[in-house]
Amino acid sequence: MTTFVDQVREMGFKQAAIAKADEAVERITAGMNISDVRGALRGDEPRRPNPRLRPHADGFWLHIRPSFYHTEVTHFYPTFRLGWLSTFMFVWETITGIILMIFYTPSPLAAYNNMWNILANVPLGQLMRNMHRLGAEVMVLVVALHMLRTFITGSYKKPRQFTWATGMILLVLTLLLSFSGYLLPWDQLAYWALTVFLSGAEAAPAPAAVNENILLILQGAPSLGAGGLLRWYLFHVLLMPLLLAIFFFVHYYKVVLHGFSLPPGREKIGEDTAKRVPRTERTYFIPDILTSELMWSALTTLFLVAGALWFWDAPLEHHADPIVTPLHVVAPWYLSWSQGWLKLADKTIVVGFIPLLMVAFIVMPYFEVGKSRRYADRRVGLSVAFLFMAIMLVSNWMGSPEYRVESSAEQEVSQEILPQEGPSVLLGVPYEHMAPGTYLPGEEVAGNPHLTEALEEFQAAMYRHSCHVPGNQNERLPREWDECEIAVLDSGDKRYGNFFKDAVMPDPYAELVIEEFQPNLLKLTLNYEVVNPDNPDEMLVESDWVSYRHADSNYEEECRYANKNC
Amino acid sequence: MQVKIVIGTIAFMLTMMIMGFAALREPTRLEEYTHAFEGRSIENGAKIFEGNCATCHGMNGKGEECENTAGEKIGCQGLPLNYQPLLCGDISDRTARMNAMNWAGTKDAFVESVVAAGRGGTAMPVWSAQFGGPMRDDEIKNVVAFVLNWENDALCDEELPTFDWPTLADTFLTDFPDGDAANGETLYVSYGCSGCHGAPDGSIPANVGPDLSAIAVDGGTRIEDYTAVMYVYESILEPNAYIAEQCPTGPCVGPPSAMPANFAERMSANPQDMADMLAYLLGQ
Repeated sequence: MTTFVDQVREMGFKQAAIAKADEAVERITAGMNISDVRGALRGDEPRRPNPRLRPHADGFWLHIRPSFYHTEVTHFYPTFRLGWLSTFMFVWETITGIILMIFYTPSPLAAYNNMWNILANVPLGQLMRNMHRLGAEVMVLVVALHMLRTFITGSYKKPRQFTWATGMILLVLTLLLSFSGYLLPWDQLAYWALTVFLSGAEAAPAPAAVNENILLILQGAPSLGAGGLLRWYLFHVLLMPLLLAIFFFVHYYKVVLHGFSLPPGREKIGEDTAKRVPRTERTYFIPDILTSELMWSALTTLFLVAGALWFWDAPLEHHADPIVTPLHVVAPWYLSWSQGWLKLADKTIVVGFIPLLMVAFIVMPYFEVGKSRRYADRRVGLSVAFLFMAIMLVSNWMGSPEYRVESSAEQEVSQEILPQEGPSVLLGVPYEHMAPGTYLPGEEVAGNPHLTEALEEFQAAMYRHSCHVPGNQNERLPREWDECEIAVLDSGDKRYGNFFKDAVMPDPYAELVIEEFQPNLLKLTLNYEVVNPDNPDEMLVESDWVSYRHADSNYEEECRYANKNC
Repeated sequence: MQVKIVIGTIAFMLTMMIMGFAALREPTRLEEYTHAFEGRSIENGAKIFEGNCATCHGMNGKGEECENTAGEKIGCQGLPLNYQPLLCGDISDRTARMNAMNWAGTKDAFVESVVAAGRGGTAMPVWSAQFGGPMRDDEIKNVVAFVLNWENDALCDEELPTFDWPTLADTFLTDFPDGDAANGETLYVSYGCSGCHGAPDGSIPANVGPDLSAIAVDGGTRIEDYTAVMYVYESILEPNAYIAEQCPTGPCVGPPSAMPANFAERMSANPQDMADMLAYLLGQ
C-alpha cells in the first residue's frame, strides 16, 4: 500500500494530487472517476464496462432508481413530472419544516407568539414560513394532479393496482399532513378550521361511545386546547411524515418494479411492455435523467422562493380564541368540497360517505378490469372521471365563501370593508391618509385618493346590501340604491331584498367615523341606522362596528400581496 | 442535455440572487414586523379595554365619564390610567406611582402585575386566567401595551398643578368659604366617589368604601377632637391617616387603605372642588 507521500515521491505533487482527487470522486460517486463525470456531462459515449451503472449497483442513493428509462416516458407527456414533483415537495416540506421546528413550541401559551417571533426576529423567517406554507398547498395540488394523470392515462390498470392503492393512501396522507399543519400557528384561522373538522369527526356514523372517543383521541381533551395542539403537532411532524415515507417507498418500489407505464398508444392492448426496453429506446439515468431532475429541482426552487417572497404570503390572524367565532369560518381550499357537501346532506351522511369514497377509489382498479388503456376504448371511464371532476369543482365552489350563509346586511358590509380578520381596502389605506372625521359611503375626500378609494368600496358594499323604498319619507340621505323587492313574511314583517340578496337594508344611513383615540391609534367606527319605512319611530337597525388601527400595524405590507383582497 | 444544464444553472443562480436580495432587505423587514406586532398588540388591547376596563377607568382612561351597560353615567371606580404619575417615569423609567407602591421591577411589569392579579380590597378584579380571571396571558399583555401607549410627550411634559393643602379644614375653608353643594354632587360622581361609596342619598348602595349617608354625624365621632369636617377633609387628602372600621363587605382593609391616595394631587388643579365636595357631603 503506497501512501500519499510515496506517490508524491514517485509522480511529483501535482500528479499525486490529481490521482488522489480522482480516487475521492470515484468513492463519492460510487464508481465514476473525474473523466467519467466530465464525459457524462459532455454527453460522450461511456467507456466499457459502463461506469455510469455502478452508482446504481454500489451506491446507496441511486440503488432505488432505475439505471435507464424507456425514452417514451422521459418526455413531458405522459408523466408531466408530477410524481417526481410530489417527491420533491415532500423533501422541500421536510427541510423547511425542520427549520421552522427550531422556532416553534407546541403550546397554546407560546405557539402564536412563536409565529410573530418568526416574522419579526428570525432572519428570513417569514420567507421560510411562506415557503413551507406555499409548498404545502403546491404539494396538495401536485399530488392530486398526479392521481388525475394516472387515471387518465390508465396507468392504474393491471399490474399497477397496488401502486394506485398506495398512491391513494399517499394522497390522503398529504391532505392530512397539510391539514394537521394548519392548527400549529394557533390563530383564529387555525383554531376554527380544526374545530369544524373535529366536529365532523364527532358526527361519524358510529355509536356515541365511539364518536366521543374519536374526538377525545383527536384533541386529547373534551375541548381543543393544549393537549390537542400537542397531538396535532406530533401528527404533523412525526406520525404523518413517517407513514408518508413508508408508503412512499412502497409506492416507488412498485413503480420501479413494474416500470413506468408507456403512453397508452405505444403498446398493444392488454400488454405491458414497460419492463422490456430495447437498447435503442433506453435513456440512461446518468447523465440524462439526473440532469433533467436537477434542472427541475432548480426551476421548482426558483418558483417557490420567488412565489413565497413576492407573490404569496402565509396568513396569520388573531390569537386563537375559543369564545369568539369569526363571522365566516371556511375550510382550507383543498377541503372546500367537503364543506360544500355539508350544505347538501346531513353531516353524519357526509362524514360516513368520505371514507367509503376513499375505499372505493383504492379498490377501483381491482374491479375495473377493462384491458385497454387507450382513450378511445375508455369512454365510460373517462366520462365518469370528468363528471366526478365537475362535481368536485361545483362542490368546491359551494364550499367557498361565495356560497356561505349570510349574516345580517350591515355585518356583511362591515366584514367586507373592515373585517374581523385580515387586511382590507380600508385597513390598506396608509395611516397618514386616515384623516379623522366622519365620512359617508362614496364620499370623495379632496386630496386623499386612498381614502376616497376605500369609501368607494364602502359605497359598493352598501349598494349590494341596500335598497330604496319608493315614497319613503325617512330618507336621511337619499342614495342611489335600487328599488326594493318587498316580501311579506308569514309573521307579517316585511323583508326587503335587491338584485343581489334577499335580506338587505331599506334606505340605510351609514357612516364611517375616524377618531384619534390614543397617540398613533385611531378608532374606526361604522355606524348604521335603518328606520322602518312603515313606522318612523322604529329602528330596524341601529348598530356600530368598531375597529382600531395603529400607525405601525402595517396592513399595507399585507395588502401588497396578490393573494389579498385590497 | 446541455440546454438543461444551462437552464438549471441559471435557475439556481437566480434563486441565490433572490435569496441575497431577500437577505439584504431583512433588517428593515424585521424592524417593520417588530413594530407591526406592537401596533397590533395595542389594537387588540384597545378592543379588550373597551369591553372590560372602560366601565371603571373611563373610555379615555382618565377615570372620568364612565358608563354602565345601559349607557348611563356612573362614578368611575377605577383610578385614572391616562395619568402622568402612572405613565411618565424619570430617566430610568421609574414613575411616581411605582415609587409610591414600592415596586422594584419595570414599568411594564408593574402595570401587567396589577392587571393580572388585581388589587385586593379594591374594585379592581383579578384578570389573568393564571389567577382565576377570564383573560389569557396574551390578552393581558395587549391591554398593558394599550395602557402604556397613553404615554406621550404632551402628557409627560405637562406641569402638574400643586396646591399646598392646609393641615386643618378650617384654615382651608377660610380661603374657600363658598362651597357649592349642587356642584359637589356632580363632582362626587365625576371624581369616582360614588363608584365605591355609593350615593349618600341611598340611591346607589355603597359596595367597597364605607357608606357616607350619615357622615355629617358619624364623621365627628371617629377621631377624638375632630369635627366631621376635619375628619372628611383629612380622609380625602390622606386616606391612610385613619381607616374606618366598617365597610360594606366587612371590616375595611388597610393600611394602606383601598381608597386612592391621589385626591390631593387630582384636586390641586381646582381646590374649590374640595370646598364643594365638603358642602355636599356635610350639608353645609
